[in-house]
Formats: sequence, structure tokens, C-alpha cells
Amino acid sequence: MSEFVERAVSVPAETAAGRRPIGLLLVAIPVFLVIWLVIWPAINAISRTIWRTDADGNSSFDLSSYAFFFSDRYSLDNLAITLWTTLVCAVLLLVICLPIALYLRFSHGRLPAYVQALAILPMFVPSIILAFAFIRVLGPNGMVDILLNAVGLPKIRTPYLTPWGPVIGLVWDNIPLTVLILLSGLGSVANQSIEAARDVGANTLRVFWHIILPRISNSILVALSFSVLGIFSSFTLPYLLGPASPEMLGPFMQRTLRDVQDPIGAMTQAVVAFGFCILFGLFYVRSVAKNRGK
Amino acid sequence: MTSLTLKRARPDWSGIAFAVILTLVIIGPLVVVATWAFTEVWRYPNIIPQKFGFRFWGQTLGRPDVWNALMLSLKLSTVVTLLSALICLPAAYAFARMKFPGRDILFFSFLAGHAFPKFGLLVAIAAIFLQLNLIGTFWGVVLIQLVGTLMFMIWIPVAAFQAVDKRMEEAARDVGASPLRVFWSITLPQAGPTIFAAVLLSFVGTFYETEGAWLIGAPGIRTMPVLMISYINNQMVIQYGAVLSVLLWVPSFIALMFARRVIGGGAFARGFGG
Repeated sequence: MSEFVERAVSVPAETAAGRRPIGLLLVAIPVFLVIWLVIWPAINAISRTIWRTDADGNSSFDLSSYAFFFSDRYSLDNLAITLWTTLVCAVLLLVICLPIALYLRFSHGRLPAYVQALAILPMFVPSIILAFAFIRVLGPNGMVDILLNAVGLPKIRTPYLTPWGPVIGLVWDNIPLTVLILLSGLGSVANQSIEAARDVGANTLRVFWHIILPRISNSILVALSFSVLGIFSSFTLPYLLGPASPEMLGPFMQRTLRDVQDPIGAMTQAVVAFGFCILFGLFYVRSVAKNRGK
Repeated sequence: MTSLTLKRARPDWSGIAFAVILTLVIIGPLVVVATWAFTEVWRYPNIIPQKFGFRFWGQTLGRPDVWNALMLSLKLSTVVTLLSALICLPAAYAFARMKFPGRDILFFSFLAGHAFPKFGLLVAIAAIFLQLNLIGTFWGVVLIQLVGTLMFMIWIPVAAFQAVDKRMEEAARDVGASPLRVFWSITLPQAGPTIFAAVLLSFVGTFYETEGAWLIGAPGIRTMPVLMISYINNQMVIQYGAVLSVLLWVPSFIALMFARRVIGGGAFARGFGG
């Protein structure tokens, strides 16, 4: 490695020698890994599910695995619960994180610093520990039940192993990045423009609607895309906290691949997931690239 | 700031509300887990445990499956982080300081993984690993976790190398320092802390990586998070999971707080497209 660096550094920056393919050589292995383990698997999954080989070894265009997915009651239920979870999580995240981000943007001092530290904390809690904490708090005879019982109230209907289990876990898990992305977007809202609007008599709601919202709509979309991509195919939290049937696409794919041992079926489910997320994925990648290019 | 607080005598109600709710919702569950770890007896309707103690620490740490999983996780994370540093840091240097054909498109190619829902991509990779007989093997898990570290380990160091003042390097070279000496004495000390943070992040991230290890590694490779999954599923002694959570979480929390301080919150959010 060091002789690479030495040769690289010894090239005077201004000469054409800087264009020698040594740079290509240095980046070759990581780029190869991306092509082999990101781009190729995606292409492979699509091509193997639409260009199937039959028993006689003839391969032909064949959409039967997709026809099965979209006619199978169980697959469709799983897809529906996945879409429902993603939608509910996205809405909840926005409703929870936007007020926090707005508050953090327009306040100073120790209390907001504390609120921000709390909002970012879940980023440092691995989801496996979150799942354990969830069961101890909201599970049967968990902390919430204990406290309700202490004040003489009935137990809650536990969200553990219901569709609301993954929703609560995933929202908790995604709060930090949503707040950070929204906060970074709010940084572009100038104090002067808000004061100017206030001066001409706009109330808080109008300031939010006409001044702040148009400026952060892109950040909202980025935050939503990021969480949709993560939530749509999440595995750990739905697997541990969600119902066994219907199950979200993450656990469904895992079971189809490892337990049912049906790679074609699992790849079909993966491609369906790609299809539902493609717009969010492209938008997200474009935003990050644009940000980085600046 | 002081003038603002003078002017605004009324309490910051919305701030207090956020602080109270977030403390309950975010800190609360972690406190419950921590309490369970130091509990010997806690039967249902009691608000606090009947008996505190360290008995379950000894029991948890005495289990051979815990030790095996811990050793395997440490080994995996070390191998993945070292490999990642070995292939990514020279690449980051090349992206930051050299011109070569296709530089920009190759740089952004590391974003490709983010265009797909993650677990779907893992399933697509697993389908390829099935044909290569990499399922259930150590190196299969290494490969899948290595891919997960690539973007962090290239983008953060690239920013670090770009932040090094070129004029200082040129000045050192003018007074006769060898290129390696320049890299060692000028470039590395300046870029070092950020690069160290990236390495730390990828180590901790790999240590906790669950989905790839579960999908590719099962049944042969049982890392710490995979062991936790089976503890949760089998509803074994509650304290085992609690002790493992406390044990595993505290060091990584310190490490991550440190890493975030070095990288900086703003740059962190921008890295995610904010």
C-alpha cells in the first residue's frame, strides 16, 4: 500500500502524469465489489425471475413467478401490510419530527440542546436492543402494564406481535435521521425572511405554510425517501415485534429464501420491493449526489 | 443569547413538553432494560424489583454460546474493518487527490447500494451466494458486511484528505521532504482523526450488523446480534438479554459519541442527503 501512496504522491500535481491510471488501480477493488455485490445482484435478480430455465434446460421469457406473487392471497396480504406499515411510519415520522426540528431550529440554549441529544440518541441504539426494550416496556406485563396497574387502570392491549409493533419500533429507530435531515433543510430558511413576514402581519401558521414549507419541501422528500427505503424492506424489527401472518416483506423474503428454499420466489419478492421503491431510491441518490457535488 | 433570555421571561413550554415526552419515550425503555440487567427477582405487579443483584451477570458471562458469539463478532468486525481500511483508504486518497478517467461516476457508484431497499438487495446477494456455496460461511458474512462499510469508508476519508491543506504538503516537499515523509508527517496527522472516526464507525456498525449476518450466516455463523435474536425469540431468562444489551451497548455508545463529535453533526446529516 505504501509504495502506491509514494508513487502517487511523487507525481507532480500539475503534469499530465496525474491522469495516469494509477488512480484507477487504487479504486479498482472497492468499485469491483460494488459492481459484483450491488449492481450485479440486482440485475441477476431481475433477469433470473423473468428469463427462467425450465426442466429441459431451455430458457425463455416467463413471468409466472410474478403472476403467482400477484395472485397469491398470502403474498398480497404481506405486500399490503408492508405498504400500510411504510405509509403509517412515514406519516408518523413527519408529524413527530417536523415539530421537533422546527423547535430546534428557532431556539437556543440548554433545553433545546438536551432535546436534540434525545432526538439523536436512537441512532446509537442497535435495533436488536430496541426490540428487547420494546418487549420489556410494551409487551405483556411490561413496564406500561405495571404502571397502569399501580394507578388502578386496566392493562393495555399490547402492540407486541401486532402490526403496530413494527410501526412503533421503526418510528423510534428513524427519528434521529429524519430530525437531522429536516434540521439541515431548515438551516436554509433565513431568519430575515421570517421576520419580514411577521412584520407585515403574518401569523405563525402562515409563516410556516408560505415561508418555511416551500423552502424545506426538498428536505422533507429526502427524509421520507430515506425512511421509506429503510422501512419498506426492514427485517429485524418486523421479524421480532410483528405478527407471524401477515408478515412484512423483509421477514417474508428471508423465510422464502432460507426456510422454504425458493430463491426464485425470494428474488421475485425482492424485485417487487425494488419496483415499489425505485422512485424513492432514485430521488434519494440524486439528492445525495447533488449535495456532495456542491 | 443572553439578551434573548432576558427578553423572554416566560418559560419555554414547548421545549419542556418535548424534553419530558422524549425523556419518557427514548430514555425510559433503556432505563427499564438497564434495571432488568441488575435484577434478580421482579414479579409482575411490583413497580420496582424485589431483589437487585449481579447474579445474572455471572450466569450470562458463564454461558459458552455468549463467549463464542462475542469472539466471533469481534473477529468478524476486526477482519471486515481491516479489509475495508485496506481497500478503501487508498481508494479514498485516489478520489481526493488524483485525476483518472471515470473518477466522478466511480465516486458516485458507491451510492448505488442506497437506491435499493436494503433487505431486498441482501436477498438478491444471498441468491448469488447460494450458487457460490458462501451461505453459512465466515467469508460470506465478511463479504456482505464489507459491502456495507464501503460508502462510509470512502466518502468520509475523501472529505478528510480534501480538507488537508495542499500548500503545507508542497512547502514540505520544497524543503526536501520525501513524498512518503510528506504523507506520514503532514497529510496523515491532519486527516487522521476523521479517518479514525470512519474506521471506528465501521467497526461498531459491523459489530451490530444483524440482517446480513442472519440471512447469510445462519445457521453456522452466530454473531452477538444473532444470538440476541434467538434469546428474544425463545423467551429465555429475561435477564440474559438485559445483561447482554447493557454489556454491548455501553462501549459502542461511547465510541459513537466520539465518532460523531469528530465528524460533526452537519456533515453527518449532509452525508445522508439532508
